[in-house]
Amino acid sequence: MMHVLPILFGALFTLATAWSLGMLLLRNLAPSFDAWERRLLAFIAGSACLSEIMFALSAAKLVHRGVLLAVGLASIGYAAYSGALRSPGKAFEPLGLLWRWVFIAVFAGLTWYAFFNALAPEHSSDGMAYHLSEVSIYQHAHGFPRITNDVYANLSQGIELLYLFAFDFGRHSAAALVHYAFLIALVFLVLSYGRRIGRPAVGVAGAIFTYTCPVVLRDATTAYIDVALAAVLFALFYLLQVWDESRDPKLIVPIGILAGFGYAVKYTAFLALPYAVGFVVWKLWRARKPLLGPVLVIGLSAAVMILPWMLKDWIEVANPFAPLANRVFPNPYAHISWEDEWRSYLSTYGLHSRWQIPLEATVKGGQLEGFLGPSFLLTPLALLALRFREGRQLLLAGLVLGSTYFSNVGTRFLIPVVPFISVALALAVANLPWLLLALVAANVITCWPAVYGRYCTPGAWQIYELPVKAALRLQSEDAYLSRDPDYNIVRMMGRVVPPGGRIFAIGQNGTSYLPRELLIGYRSAANEVMQDILLTPLVRDYQPALSLKFDFPAREFRKLRVVQKGSEPEDQWSMAELRIFEGPNELPRDPGWRLTAHPNPWEVQMAFDNSPVTRWRSWQPASPGMYVEVDFPRPQPASSVTVEASDEMVNTKIRLEGMGMDGQWSTVSDHPVISAHPILSSLRMAAIAELKTRGIQYVLIHPGDFGADDFLRYPAAWGLRLAGEENGTRLYRIR
Amino acid sequence: MFLIRAACLLLCVLCLAACDRLPQSYPPPEQRQPVAGFNPGPDAMMVSMEDSDADPVIVKDIYPGTGIPWRWTKQEPTVKVLVFSTESVKFSADFAIWDDSFKTTGPLEISFLVNGKLLDKIRYTTPGKKHFEKPVPADWLAGNTEATVALSVDKLYIAPRSGDEYGVILSRLGLKP
Repeated sequence: MMHVLPILFGALFTLATAWSLGMLLLRNLAPSFDAWERRLLAFIAGSACLSEIMFALSAAKLVHRGVLLAVGLASIGYAAYSGALRSPGKAFEPLGLLWRWVFIAVFAGLTWYAFFNALAPEHSSDGMAYHLSEVSIYQHAHGFPRITNDVYANLSQGIELLYLFAFDFGRHSAAALVHYAFLIALVFLVLSYGRRIGRPAVGVAGAIFTYTCPVVLRDATTAYIDVALAAVLFALFYLLQVWDESRDPKLIVPIGILAGFGYAVKYTAFLALPYAVGFVVWKLWRARKPLLGPVLVIGLSAAVMILPWMLKDWIEVANPFAPLANRVFPNPYAHISWEDEWRSYLSTYGLHSRWQIPLEATVKGGQLEGFLGPSFLLTPLALLALRFREGRQLLLAGLVLGSTYFSNVGTRFLIPVVPFISVALALAVANLPWLLLALVAANVITCWPAVYGRYCTPGAWQIYELPVKAALRLQSEDAYLSRDPDYNIVRMMGRVVPPGGRIFAIGQNGTSYLPRELLIGYRSAANEVMQDILLTPLVRDYQPALSLKFDFPAREFRKLRVVQKGSEPEDQWSMAELRIFEGPNELPRDPGWRLTAHPNPWEVQMAFDNSPVTRWRSWQPASPGMYVEVDFPRPQPASSVTVEASDEMVNTKIRLEGMGMDGQWSTVSDHPVISAHPILSSLRMAAIAELKTRGIQYVLIHPGDFGADDFLRYPAAWGLRLAGEENGTRLYRIR
Repeated sequence: MFLIRAACLLLCVLCLAACDRLPQSYPPPEQRQPVAGFNPGPDAMMVSMEDSDADPVIVKDIYPGTGIPWRWTKQEPTVKVLVFSTESVKFSADFAIWDDSFKTTGPLEISFLVNGKLLDKIRYTTPGKKHFEKPVPADWLAGNTEATVALSVDKLYIAPRSGDEYGVILSRLGLKP
């Protein structure tokens, strides 16, 4: 039971610090707000401020417990001393008896479930895989280490930095509780919004629709970030509405902060800034008021939240929008093909048709990883709210902020629009209180955790238990978490691999509990290269089975390059080796040579390393004009060039160009002679040797991984020794 | 206004500080030497029925091991082996025909198969321990890939009580360099 105290302290201290900073920020805006909505908006705005402080501390490597304590105590102390924690302002009319008790009953019932789920040991998929995994790394490093082998570390992490604050005191569950606090704030903000527009029943119904939404409740009780984003975006909408009423210029700064914080929380919220700017510009333009000042203030306030993340990525991985936009900002850390595949998957999640989305996202939830609840099938009814000004505002905000949904059709990516739809739906039928009450009742019944298991797809992401003992640590964390296969694998790795050991895996979750370095195949360009190497002995199409020889009369060159002629939207160009000959003898690779390639110059050395398991790849569809080039330090006689490549058709559509003494490029040969290239050495051993060269000491193979059987049958042929096993997943040590 | 200008200036300085052009050309790397395959030893392509790690390479028709150095088979006991060398490789099998089952089945005709191709077919007219060994044509195999090695027994002994089917008693099966 005592183990709960640091968790609660970590969460509450983080929340109190954020709230205090927010109250300081909003202290001069008293007349605009009801006392409660000020407190709620202060928490959201203060979270943005605390996140920014944490960014600065992380960049300066000052994330130490003492520093965090000082920041928290100073914020709380100064806010209390300055009187900012007092919440003057008008108060809303009390809720009517019926709606008050409806809200209290539903809120209390679901909070019972949600609180204990949030407090229980955190074992969500993405929470363990990267949200808290990165947080754990930052905590150990006391700030941002430069991470170039995990694309998730390059996403904006505004909420994760709040988790970092909490994690230092209460670890994983403290972070999950912080996220849950955003849901509480969101629910009460929705309630307050209804009261602000003079429709408290709409506020109650909207709050209940939001709180009971199964994917929202599940997400909020883990260390994900989607509900926090929803709270930030609804708070932004709320502030804009208040500003529209009051035109208080002091609101412009928090509006800008929240618009920028949306991006800092999640890239998909980048439209928050244009939405906020557009809203303010439209209103001011219609009122014939000056535009430039407010727009500049919003832009600058948002920039303070956005630019640090862009700069961090630009400095660390040469791409301010990493891990996206790799075509615009080519870099050695993320392959374009990875981004293309990632986007492609996220836009469908394997669905055959987008017409499946409505039912998947509301009722089934199996493929889209969660469901909103059947009530959201009534979303088209929300259009009836267009007859009200507030309805138009809500639906416009929902439309703009939800317009990025089709870039990732997971149900979670609808969470930011849930509060807008919830209130709009309630507003649509607000003039029929009995219908609204019936809708609320139906929604509560169908979205109650004990009920929705009857209709959703088994295994859909949901709250499915009430882990009171685990939450209160009456059951040990280890015993509770060991029900999760990923956790057990991680524990096995932790036991077997000594500190400092590096593990390579094709896929694995749960790394937030792993005190070792685990490089996962798809998570960076370098990791993808290692995966490519590891699979080469198993995939014939990867092996350099062809030799393409360009013969030509001997002459001197300043540069030679092999150029791609073909265009293959589905295939990449690759080259295992490029060898240059003078007569019958291969030219030794002179340290004075300069090698380059287009695209992907950073991996060109793999076409000149004499290894059959490494290769330069375009990592994007082959297209005419791509090349691999050698620049000689002095005029170099040559009479033939050989390219060793796999026998994919695209690799044969090449020509040889040379730059002579006149500095002009010309085609040397357009027709290579193609022959089989025998592979005489052991590819398995060579592949493992390459991984070893890259600092890998262990390889983790899941039963479902490609080639898992081969590792199982012939570990000695790979140069591996079984070091640990957990439920069919094997950890091999490189001999 | 001063603050805005100062912020803009600071941002420009930060942006400039971030400019670090990634190298676009490189010298040749350290040259890798061919990795000799692991030294397989004479039994690397043999599957011994007493080995606890034999199970992953058993494809079909071999009863689970019980800790003794042989296992009963069914009609077509098949194993997979990783081929390290294709030159001068021999099919090799050590097995036995049980006296009691022989009384029921009579002489057995056993086919020896590599990658589904018939290498040889022998008629065994007596029970007892048997050893078969015969060179495998090099073009039947490919280096660094798996090959299936199998026996095919023409007649099975059916246990009277359980109805289980039994072929031969297998000790070792595979390829030898």
